Amino acid sequence: MAGRESRTDIGAADVLPEVRLVGVTKRFGAVLANDSISLSIMPGRIMALLGENGAGKSTLMAMLAGCFKPDSGHIEVEGRRVDFASPREAIAAGIGMVYQHFMLVENMTVAENVLLGQEGGFLLDPAAMHAAVTELSERFALPIDPGARVGDLSMGERQRVEILKLLHRQSRVLIFDEPTAVLTPVEAEALFAALRAMSAQGKAIVFISHKLEEVLALADEIAILRRGRIEGEFLAADVQSPADLARRMVGRDVVLEIGREPMETGEVVLDVRHLGGPGLDDVSLSLRRGEILAMVGVAGNGQQQLVETVCGLSRPRTGEVELLGRSWDDFFHCRDWQGALAWVPEDRTGLATCGSLDLTDNLLLTTRQGFSKGMWLRRARAREVAREIVRTHNVQPGRIDLPAWQLSGGNLQKFVLGRELLRRPRLLVAEQPTQGLDISATEAVWRRLLTARADMGVLLVTGDLTEALQLADRVAVMFRGRIMGQFPTGDAARVERIGALMAGLSE
Amino acid sequence: MIRLVVRKRAKSLGWGALVVYLCALALALFICGVLLRLSGRPGLGGLAILFQGAFGQSYSLLDDLVKAIPIFLCSLGVALSFRMQIWNIGAEGQFALGAVGATFVALSLPGLPWPVLLPLMFLAAMLAGGLWGLIPAALRLRLGVNEIISSLMLNYVGILVLDYLVFGVWKDPASFGFPMTAEFGPGGQIARMGPTLGLNLGKLHWGLLACPLAGVAYGVFLSRTRLGFELAACGEGERVARYAQLPYGFLVLLVLGAGGALAGLAGSIECSATLGRLQPTVMVGYGYTAIVVAWLARLKPWPIAFTSFLLASLRVGVEVLELKLQIPAAFGQIMEGGILLCVIAGQFFLDYTVSLRRPEAPVAPVASGASCAPGVKEAA
Repeated sequence: MAGRESRTDIGAADVLPEVRLVGVTKRFGAVLANDSISLSIMPGRIMALLGENGAGKSTLMAMLAGCFKPDSGHIEVEGRRVDFASPREAIAAGIGMVYQHFMLVENMTVAENVLLGQEGGFLLDPAAMHAAVTELSERFALPIDPGARVGDLSMGERQRVEILKLLHRQSRVLIFDEPTAVLTPVEAEALFAALRAMSAQGKAIVFISHKLEEVLALADEIAILRRGRIEGEFLAADVQSPADLARRMVGRDVVLEIGREPMETGEVVLDVRHLGGPGLDDVSLSLRRGEILAMVGVAGNGQQQLVETVCGLSRPRTGEVELLGRSWDDFFHCRDWQGALAWVPEDRTGLATCGSLDLTDNLLLTTRQGFSKGMWLRRARAREVAREIVRTHNVQPGRIDLPAWQLSGGNLQKFVLGRELLRRPRLLVAEQPTQGLDISATEAVWRRLLTARADMGVLLVTGDLTEALQLADRVAVMFRGRIMGQFPTGDAARVERIGALMAGLSE
Repeated sequence: MIRLVVRKRAKSLGWGALVVYLCALALALFICGVLLRLSGRPGLGGLAILFQGAFGQSYSLLDDLVKAIPIFLCSLGVALSFRMQIWNIGAEGQFALGAVGATFVALSLPGLPWPVLLPLMFLAAMLAGGLWGLIPAALRLRLGVNEIISSLMLNYVGILVLDYLVFGVWKDPASFGFPMTAEFGPGGQIARMGPTLGLNLGKLHWGLLACPLAGVAYGVFLSRTRLGFELAACGEGERVARYAQLPYGFLVLLVLGAGGALAGLAGSIECSATLGRLQPTVMVGYGYTAIVVAWLARLKPWPIAFTSFLLASLRVGVEVLELKLQIPAAFGQIMEGGILLCVIAGQFFLDYTVSLRRPEAPVAPVASGASCAPGVKEAA
């Protein structure tokens, strides 16, 4: 399955692509992380890989960097087929990756880090090492003091060290995983200058991002990944505006039609008024029983902070939050485990579950009050209920004695949703509830949320516009901590403008 | 090129774990034998003397058991806090405070009969040890002080408090200047088991009963109670604790307070039963051995009992070795450290499998030098 031919081949027909992905497919269990992807990465060009969390960007790049092998399809470097068995082989072939979390030895100097593992001989020559690093840093506009200790450097400087490491290893293709996530705006500008310098000297650059402005500022060509497939590939010059790009990114393809019956709304379960604080700017919204309100927006625009406030992790700085008719302080001072608030967090492995505990214990994590009699815990009953959840939600591999880390993200998600619904909440906060789930599991989760809203108000935080429009009665768009617009999903004219709102253009 | 592939085990090793432990132990003993040889003593012969001393006679087995009592109690105490990733290194100091608390009661109320005096002594000891344990807990919760440092430092303070009392205010005038208190009255001393049962049980005393009591309480608490479950869940970190609304602060106070109480109890039993008075020699490092035990036993009650006995018998064996071969006392600590290192290294094999890379095997990031993107995992 060769897949579609990459359109950028035509754009630069006389140049051989540095790296070509041909029909690359990767599955994790039932989830198709990458679906016959074909891409060409050209020398001297900057390619942006754009997509929401869980779209498959990281998986794709991890295969390029030699961490995984594709299930089918293959990778070509300079026209020759390669089969990376480890990251080391990918580096030897000239493909290097700068991860979000840097891999540096903090106690060593910049020069030592850059040359680590390739010092050449037994004896070190600090002067020559410094000279080599200085030469590289000047050539690619990456100013750095080779003698500085890495532990003393800022995030931007550490990133430069990571880049120098790859350049010193003669990498010809450099992949950056959300490189500006840890940078200040000034540092980001410096990085862009360096990326342009590298590309001008013939390096092929790929960077993963979901920030629209920087993609437009930097990239020569843009590839959009959605649900594991390349949904668009075009020159940056062809994009008219960030709103245009946002529209192309979120898409409106209906993967799954699900009938949503209107429902009578009940009492207000969540009322947020003029909420401010770090990452939030005058947020107001209200949610009633029988309603699903979808918060959409590019990740990192304040959704996280809003959820943490609503769920009691951080106290509102300014403004008011009322849950089930009680003030924030009153509600979280003593709250019932059931009949109140339940939260399905995006981070299933680090927050919603304990990896080393089995499923029974993970069930007890938020429902233990329901299974205790005085000081005693009734594990036998909890086991029965855990088995019940595993059965009704089709959690694979269907055993409750496994530690949570052995379950895939999607199955863990189904389990967490089952657990949280067991608490019969009146307010449910669901963050990216179908991320990483296959189609049938997605449909099951959607149906469950739709029926559940009869008894509760659901705050759905999602980066997937399809999901928002399928499920939600109303949708609110967030950008830089502000709500840019809030309207019923039936309002077709305003739904059309969601992409623009996500890019920060006001109504 | 041959490369090792390291993968996390999906299933626990079961009885194979025993093999791992035995191999680790054998390796540790081998290293000790080599060390003996290097210091000019017979290597194999030395190990034979060690074994003979630790397990050879019935009285040495009884001696092992006597020494295992305080180690077991202290170890349960530290294991409790290790369960929720609170690193209590302060059992030694809590042990000292327990001995001080018990002595205070024993010296203040000398005439009472044992059914009244002993429970009072235990209570005072657990209170003193528990409060000593609460200091690092409060410092951690209030000021964010790392409990490893504070509990470790408090060990030295606790031992100095003990020294101050026996060298000063509590010194027995009839002791010819030796740093010790007067002997406790008969009601303040835990009796030996032998005479009552009509058996020859050497130095074994009734304090042994505290062990099954504490052990069962520990096991039941962790596996059956809600608080015990919350404690284990807290071990995954404060973020999960906040998500699940676990009473993190309260649990920190609880584990350090209860751990201190257990170590304090051990201190009171040790000074009431073995010495019959308080003197500096009551401090022989049981509190530190307890940490080794808890770690080796992976915080489980039965293995803690077994490992306590094992390390107690190591102490007894090394004492004999010291006498017969003129080995310095530090050799015992070297052996203890050696066993700890070997077993911990061996425990790696309980959680991971290691195999040579076959051509078609997928590569595990752990083994391959550079690791993959965070958040990207091969599906299990």
